[in-house]
Amino acid sequence: MIDWMAFVIVLVSALVGTVVVVGFYSFGVRLLVRAGRVPVVSPATFTDAITVLTPAEIRSAEKKAAKAARKNPLSAGQKNVALAGAYSCFSLCAIAVLYGIYLIVPALHGGG
Amino acid sequence: MPLDITLVIVLVIALALFFDFTNGFHDTANAMATPIATGAMKPKVAVGVAAILNLVGAFLSTEVAKTISGGIIREGDDGVLITPELIFAGLIGAIVWNMLTWLLGLPSSSSHALFGGLIGAALVGAGLNAIDFGVLMSKVILPAVLAPLTAGLIAFIATKLAYSATRRYDNKPDGRSGFRYGQIFSSSLVALAHGTNDAQKTMGVITLALISVNLQAPGDGVQFWVVVVCALAIALGTYVGGWRIIKTLGTGLTDVKPAQGFAAETSTAATILASSHLGFALSTTQVASGSVIGSGLGRRGSTVRWKTAGRIGIGWLLTLPAAGIVGALAALVAHLGTWGVLIDAAVGIGTILFIFLWSRRDAVGHHNVVSEVAASGEAVVIAPEPESKKVAK
Repeated sequence: MIDWMAFVIVLVSALVGTVVVVGFYSFGVRLLVRAGRVPVVSPATFTDAITVLTPAEIRSAEKKAAKAARKNPLSAGQKNVALAGAYSCFSLCAIAVLYGIYLIVPALHGGG
Repeated sequence: MPLDITLVIVLVIALALFFDFTNGFHDTANAMATPIATGAMKPKVAVGVAAILNLVGAFLSTEVAKTISGGIIREGDDGVLITPELIFAGLIGAIVWNMLTWLLGLPSSSSHALFGGLIGAALVGAGLNAIDFGVLMSKVILPAVLAPLTAGLIAFIATKLAYSATRRYDNKPDGRSGFRYGQIFSSSLVALAHGTNDAQKTMGVITLALISVNLQAPGDGVQFWVVVVCALAIALGTYVGGWRIIKTLGTGLTDVKPAQGFAAETSTAATILASSHLGFALSTTQVASGSVIGSGLGRRGSTVRWKTAGRIGIGWLLTLPAAGIVGALAALVAHLGTWGVLIDAAVGIGTILFIFLWSRRDAVGHHNVVSEVAASGEAVVIAPEPESKKVAK
């Protein structure tokens, strides 16, 4: 009476959910870079975090990003398309998460 | 209702809530260790968010609670009579084993300690008939084995995906620090998922206790006040536990990059949420550990330290039977009647106090404070990337 199907359902649904969320987010990051908007997110200030960048390192990363943006071979229109693509990717990612939560909470769709 | 039964019920609810509190206390690090380590979130913010989302998560689903209150232990007319004394003994077994492994720094799972304690107590108190082994196998034991593997496999694939989607061969900035924003959301999802699975376990135990004294009909769902107190207990535990982590984090954390952390957390959250939805009561700690190991393997140049991984695995396997033995012993004593319950309570509270005082005497290190999840990352060795060498120069 072991319901093996249930394990397959967990594997498949978790895999699809993760691949959709991580995939769209990653492509969003890639398109941002392509559009010349390389994200430079410095770690939150916390002395014990293993990823600690000094202000000088952050400045150099920002400079590198700005340089890459100047050398971008895309035209202004292509950049806008890439940027729009990036934002759509992030939106799809958010929608996927919200849809997943909607499916799980019975109160939201009237099921029991 | 006789006075001694009221006393036992009050004791069971108090102990169950204490267990819930320690669960949150213990597991804050699961959700929040990686975003704090990669610097995605400030620790104070991370802990606050984790507490609130645990609270919210506890209200989202009651499937896991139903597994415990209505599945594993046969109650009602056709089953055996589960007395509140047995549940009490089971809880004592779970808490004592949990505190002991926490003190010794052994990887264990609070959820399996809870099941072990309850099963041990039920076996001694009511015999083999008390346990529905089919439900136990399909909703607890198999998920315990399969869920960390599932999460690890998914995290492996997701990490590969995240890295290949953002890889650049021309050594220009790849923008991977942008995953830090993503981590804020993915770690929040883990905290939410934790509430949907772990808070449910306590709700299930309290509901089982209420059924055992006919305050609730078997087969009924979880009462609303039970949901509220359990949600509050786990959120409070998460918040208090977080402060300890803030003070002591910094030793023994493995090298987790933002892209990897994002993939691992998304995999953890997705696996736990899907399992909670189907009523699988799994160990959130083990799922998160599986993800951290899987995502480590997904990075280039990584190898597994099988010895460390094996030690973690053995600790997991031991938890259920060991807590079962403690629970069974407590049930034997509880059979002596009210005095037995009082002896159990005294021994349990004494052990907790002793371990608490002992732990304060010791220097607090990462072995007993940070998390098995962070420790499980040590099972994977990652060769330094050529890019990061260049930055170091």
